[in-house]
Amino acid sequence: MFETKRHRRLLAFVACTGTMLLFAACVSAPPAPTTSLNEASLAIKAAERDDASHYAAAELDEARQKLIKADAAVVANQMTLAERYADESTVTAKLAAARTEAAKAAAINEEMSRGAEALLEEMQRAGDKE
Amino acid sequence: MNAYNVKYARAPRMLAVAAAISIAVAGCATAPQSPEGSADVRGKLSALQSNSNLASKVPVEIREAEAAVVIAEAPVGKNVALGEHRIYMADRMVEIAMAKAATRYAEDQRAMLAQRRDKARLDARTHEADMAHRQVAMAQSKAEAERALALAAATRAASNEVEAAAKAKEMQRQIDVLQAEATDRGLVLTLGDVLFATGRSDLRPGGNSTLDKLVVFLNEYPDRNVLIEGHTDDVGSLEMNQTLSQHRADAVKLYLTQHGIQSKRVVASGMGETQPIADNLSASGRQQNRRVEVIIKNPSTELLSNTGGAGDDQFF
Repeated sequence: MFETKRHRRLLAFVACTGTMLLFAACVSAPPAPTTSLNEASLAIKAAERDDASHYAAAELDEARQKLIKADAAVVANQMTLAERYADESTVTAKLAAARTEAAKAAAINEEMSRGAEALLEEMQRAGDKE
Repeated sequence: MNAYNVKYARAPRMLAVAAAISIAVAGCATAPQSPEGSADVRGKLSALQSNSNLASKVPVEIREAEAAVVIAEAPVGKNVALGEHRIYMADRMVEIAMAKAATRYAEDQRAMLAQRRDKARLDARTHEADMAHRQVAMAQSKAEAERALALAAATRAASNEVEAAAKAKEMQRQIDVLQAEATDRGLVLTLGDVLFATGRSDLRPGGNSTLDKLVVFLNEYPDRNVLIEGHTDDVGSLEMNQTLSQHRADAVKLYLTQHGIQSKRVVASGMGETQPIADNLSASGRQQNRRVEVIIKNPSTELLSNTGGAGDDQFF
């Protein structure tokens, strides 16, 4: 009887301790923000595909640096910081893509209006020659 | 008096309480402060939103940015890093909205630019076509003018030719009418002795149709002068024949001057019997030798070239 009681107490203690340990582990080491990290590297790749290194080099570089910091934070087991860096990397890569698009659009417009100007000028010259 | 004192003594106390309460309320309101820098992001977003040209093009992005700004404005207490992170995110979202708005705006402008460019192209082409047309027209009118000139020249030449031909033809006709013979001395018109009675030098009336034709011819061609030569056969003395031939030539000259031909255009000489054209042995030969030859000289030859120095005035 006594033995059984002691045995039970021991079991309960072990279970309690195990649970507490498990909790502790959970609190101190959350999982790495894999989704955010993946999103960031996808966004950077997309920006690179759009030739952001030419049109928005600073933003693309910043996005890369943020991702590097995020990875470093994961290694340092600072998952909250890692997630923030990853999110910042994503949004900056998206900004790089958006600015690239805007720059391309502006370039196209400039080219078009230059074409029209050139035609008008040419006509003017042709008219002068008469 | 007491009541008054109490009343006035309370007033400052009530004021102090009210002030304290209002300060407390104000404190409550400002207590959970928005992170530093969130105002800047809000200002940036407001600027974009107030630009209706751009804001209307990116409603989704603006809504997302707005949400990010609201989150950034939420108090974070002492978690400065979280506040900075949220501001960073919000700022980037606003920037993305701005960039996308700029892109859309540029795309919208493109239609207008394309229209302008197409119009410029069309104008250029029209202009080119006009120029080409004008050049063709100029070339054509030039060619036409040249053709017209050439035609006029040709017409003139032709009319000159025609005129010359007509003149030549007319002259030939006149010559034919006179039954003159073209020689190197000019046109020679031989008047037979039928004009004169034998031994006489006055012209027979009625036999002068040949001379009338000569008058017409000389009037028609005022640059032609005539030499009139009288010839006889060998019947009679040389001297008498010389005189007779001279008189006969003079008679012809008189006829011409009486019909309006200037005397200076006519030279009359008597050649006597010295230049027979046939045998004087036969009657028909002698008849051929009795003659007056009218030589219509070619233009610009001297009147007295073949007269052997015999002037008409000498014999009058």
